[in-house]
Amino acid sequence: MVSAIYPLAAALASAFLLGLLHERQRAPAYAITLGVLGFMTLTAASWVWGFAQTGQAGFEIYTAGVAPPFAISLRLGLAEASLMLLINLTGLLSAIHLQAPLLAHGRRAMAVLLIAVMALGGLVMTRDLFNLFVFIELIVIATGGLVLLSDDPRAVVAGFKYLIISQLVTVFLLIGIIFAYHGTGTLNIDGMAMTTMGLASGGALAFFLMFIAVVIETKPFPANGWALDIYESAHPAFAAIFSAASAAAALFAVDKLLLIGGSDWLPIATGIGILSFVGANLLALPQTNDRRLLGYSSIAQTGLVLVVLGQRDLLGDHTLYVAGGLLLANAVAKAGLFWLSDLIPKREPAAWAALRHHPLALFAFATLLALLVGLPPFPSFYAKWDLVHPLADAGRLWLLGLILFGTLLEAGYLFRWFGYSLKREAPALTGSLVSPRFGVVLVAVAAAWLLALLWGELSVHDNLLLAVPLAFALAFLALDWLPARVKNALAITGLVAYFALTYTDYDPLRMIFAVIFLLGSALTMLAGFDVQGRRPGFYPSVMLMLAGLIMLIRATDSFAFFAAWEVLTIGSYFLILRGKRSEPHALSYLLFSFGGALAMLAGFALAAQGAPSIELVALAQVAESVAPWVFLLLAIGFMTKTAAIGLHIWLPGAHAEAELDVSPMVSGILLKAGLYGLMVLLLAMGTQRLAGVDLVDLLLWIGALTAFLGNLMAIFQEDAKRLLAYSSIGQMGYAIFGLALMNHLGWLMALMFVINHYIYKSMLFLAVGGVARRTGTRQMFLMGGLITLMPLSFIAVMIGIIAMSGVPPLSGFGGRWIFYNAILATDARLPIALIFLSGPIAFLYLFRLIHTIFLGQLKDEHRQVKEAPFWILLPQMIYVAILIVAALVPGLLLRHVDQYLTEFFPFGALNWEGLRITSDFGYWNPVAIMLTIGVIFMLLLSWLLFVNRRAQKVKQFNIVFSAERPYRPETTHFAWNFFAPYRKAMGFLVQPLVTRFWDLITQTLHGIGEMTRRIYNGNAQTYAFHLIGFVVVVFLLGPGGTA
Amino acid sequence: MVFIAMAAGFILILIGFYGALTNRNLLRMIVSFTLADTGVHIVLVAVGALPGRTAPILDASVPVAEAVTRIVDPVPQALVLTAIVIGLGVTTLMLAYAYRLFAQKGTLDIAKFTELKW
Repeated sequence: MVSAIYPLAAALASAFLLGLLHERQRAPAYAITLGVLGFMTLTAASWVWGFAQTGQAGFEIYTAGVAPPFAISLRLGLAEASLMLLINLTGLLSAIHLQAPLLAHGRRAMAVLLIAVMALGGLVMTRDLFNLFVFIELIVIATGGLVLLSDDPRAVVAGFKYLIISQLVTVFLLIGIIFAYHGTGTLNIDGMAMTTMGLASGGALAFFLMFIAVVIETKPFPANGWALDIYESAHPAFAAIFSAASAAAALFAVDKLLLIGGSDWLPIATGIGILSFVGANLLALPQTNDRRLLGYSSIAQTGLVLVVLGQRDLLGDHTLYVAGGLLLANAVAKAGLFWLSDLIPKREPAAWAALRHHPLALFAFATLLALLVGLPPFPSFYAKWDLVHPLADAGRLWLLGLILFGTLLEAGYLFRWFGYSLKREAPALTGSLVSPRFGVVLVAVAAAWLLALLWGELSVHDNLLLAVPLAFALAFLALDWLPARVKNALAITGLVAYFALTYTDYDPLRMIFAVIFLLGSALTMLAGFDVQGRRPGFYPSVMLMLAGLIMLIRATDSFAFFAAWEVLTIGSYFLILRGKRSEPHALSYLLFSFGGALAMLAGFALAAQGAPSIELVALAQVAESVAPWVFLLLAIGFMTKTAAIGLHIWLPGAHAEAELDVSPMVSGILLKAGLYGLMVLLLAMGTQRLAGVDLVDLLLWIGALTAFLGNLMAIFQEDAKRLLAYSSIGQMGYAIFGLALMNHLGWLMALMFVINHYIYKSMLFLAVGGVARRTGTRQMFLMGGLITLMPLSFIAVMIGIIAMSGVPPLSGFGGRWIFYNAILATDARLPIALIFLSGPIAFLYLFRLIHTIFLGQLKDEHRQVKEAPFWILLPQMIYVAILIVAALVPGLLLRHVDQYLTEFFPFGALNWEGLRITSDFGYWNPVAIMLTIGVIFMLLLSWLLFVNRRAQKVKQFNIVFSAERPYRPETTHFAWNFFAPYRKAMGFLVQPLVTRFWDLITQTLHGIGEMTRRIYNGNAQTYAFHLIGFVVVVFLLGPGGTA
Repeated sequence: MVFIAMAAGFILILIGFYGALTNRNLLRMIVSFTLADTGVHIVLVAVGALPGRTAPILDASVPVAEAVTRIVDPVPQALVLTAIVIGLGVTTLMLAYAYRLFAQKGTLDIAKFTELKW
């Protein structure tokens, strides 16, 4: 191993040597700078490799050949080596990025950069307090110099503010150090930790001063206005160092000091950290400058790491893994994003749309954001999971709640930003992507994926990156250059092949979902053959969603389940975001899903009771004291996906604005994930009571209300796809209701709904999507009379609504029949009434699909409309066939499920004898019904043909309308506001109260952020007051103040 | 004597802080910080001082063998030297900044430099 002294010495020496070069020899000076930084990086990499390979413990390096306290000592261990690698690499890459300004400013700027990197490394390695002070001051001076590399004249002010703050820090630090030395007789950190310092009265104060000085270097909220100004105005490559390297070094220094302070000071670190995390994320919400936004996020993340350091008493040796995961994730993401920001022409976040036409840049942006938010498979995902579990076990629920709240805020503004990048007007990039400036961003992206692999390997859980479905989905990223049809064929083959390979693994319940998720999606994807060109980004997204879905049903423990949940959420978010006007809807989808996921995370953490994860079947054995809470949290999580009433507002927009073949997927397939979750939950935990309320009863009510209100809202829609979307809300309500009945038939009905809803919703969305494609509108009142022009679409819709409304002879009737049997067995009268009422309401809106789109008068502009494209029709026709087969022999799949359910609900199983299905209350013979209906239909039809045979055909504009000639077909086709009387009577029930409620919440949060950030009034003296106030408050609240 | 030095040091620090927080003129702020710095230096030396002992310079008058009993604690003295040097560096940098700021706006009023905020 190269001695730790060499890199420091090399940087120092070459910084001096640069001074010997002639002012004009800038290229050689730059080459030396890069060479030294490269050497430092390689050395650090060799250390990391060495420690990782040998598992060797860290060791001390005595600089003057004598042991402390008589000389300064450095320490080098795995943590130090990793941080050195981070710092040096960030320095090197930033130096590459800074090529132009460095060459313009000459050797002095390069020397300052070398000193900065060296000092940051020194801060990490040193074990001596006074040495710590020296390195901090070197960082201050170097920062003061490097800030000036910016083209922004305001950077000068920012640098000055920073110097003022650091003067205050210097005073605190020196006074603290000298009194600590006085109390202990040593300057060595470990020596001081051992003497436990006459920490009595003066000692505690001395420690406090040192501690707070170093904490301020981590830019804690709210004493951090100066840091934000630097983030905003400095050169982005320096901001990268400031965010990635400086914060990492400062955090490590805090950790070293905590060694001296002992466990008394851990709560203080936690408190400062959580305040920063939540506060900075809240203030980031109203940000309009991308770099300042990144600055806020950086402060928040640093705060979170501080929380982890403060939880050392819980995490023990695992602290390094958790803190390291969060810290490295933030550092890599921030450095990459700051570097990337240099290619963006303007500073408002919406200008990041410039990346839109550059897939690689967009991929980099997405990767870095995912890394920052902590989505799987990135290290911060593992870290957050491992942080939350001990917190839940130790009962630190407030902290846990605040962490999750902050995480949600962060996801909110980061994904809003991502939405801009895809949807807003795209300006031109300010530079070429074939340049070192973008090259360094790609290094960050590569580092992100490497870290993902590494953290997966190191974790006690499975390595997510190695999961076959996820790897298959990610492979589509590399294949994105292929034509869409080739990718479509590959995707379908992959789905079918995976089913063929794994179908023996599933029990009947999971089989239903596996069939829908794998084969069902393959079927829907046939529509994808309709798309010409490359369709960039589509396949990675859809495969990510499907990978998540399939991992969900294969998961056996809570970690795998949760990871799958997030994967499917993020995949479907990308998918929904592809729609033309879907930016706000995709965001609201993501926020509800992510919020739900965080509720699930809390639920799983509570359930695990200290274990790293919990088997899903073990949910049944959760201690009674927490079980109802676990149930509640998990149920809320799942219900965000099924769009239960109150959590439903994302669905209509998300489903309606999605692309033609995406709507059937996110509706027919994705919604089932929530139902699956609820099933797993209910099977494991059964009924729970909280404060005297039976939670399953609550679920029953939610199901009934969702069904009723969802359907009611559907009837007032003018947009065909929105109508279908609202109807999905209602349908999911039925399914939840069925599950909450907690009896055999209720579950059977829910499962039947799962299958049926998949079939007819996919079919209807495809059919309506095809019509919308051809007519160029989704507004139903602008259509009409399309029956002759689009007969196949008409048939699909016709069959679809017959199936869905539950009239005989199609499979919907089977569902109804089981459903009526199921509710006969319960005594929840009021919700049953609601559910009954929603049936006829469903007729109302389904009728409109036929009446308004296909019947009535053809509009002038639609006279040339053609039938929907072949590939859109093909899956629909297959669905029609499936519906008819399912209607004739429902037992094909259902009887296995019925049998399987007997395990859990022994009573009330159906009797499948021949063609007849018998329940306790009656029987159902699908074939007989089909025949009866068929005969009646044929009879009526032939009678109609018979009486109509002499009828005269009347063309559309024939004068038969009471002598008034209709110039516009609209006037003869009543379609708009079709249910006006109902609206008058029941409109009060569909007031957008829930939307208003959630709007109010987001507005309040924004308002708080907007108001609070006014404390940063830009005045350096105000910032100094903040700092002093912060120090005083921390002192009064800390162990020093109360002692 | 040590007490007086210590007290003087802390008073200087407080005066420095007060001056830096109440004066809006950049140069006055910088001067205030140098006052505070000086106060810190005095405190540093005062902490290491032992009454009746001599400077930690080992020469003919203080043989090595007797050093432990005759000199004051050398560590704070070493520290204060470093601190003075660093203080000089930072002060110089601040003055350079003040010059640049004045060149930008023709004023030294700190309250005029608030474009970066929120």
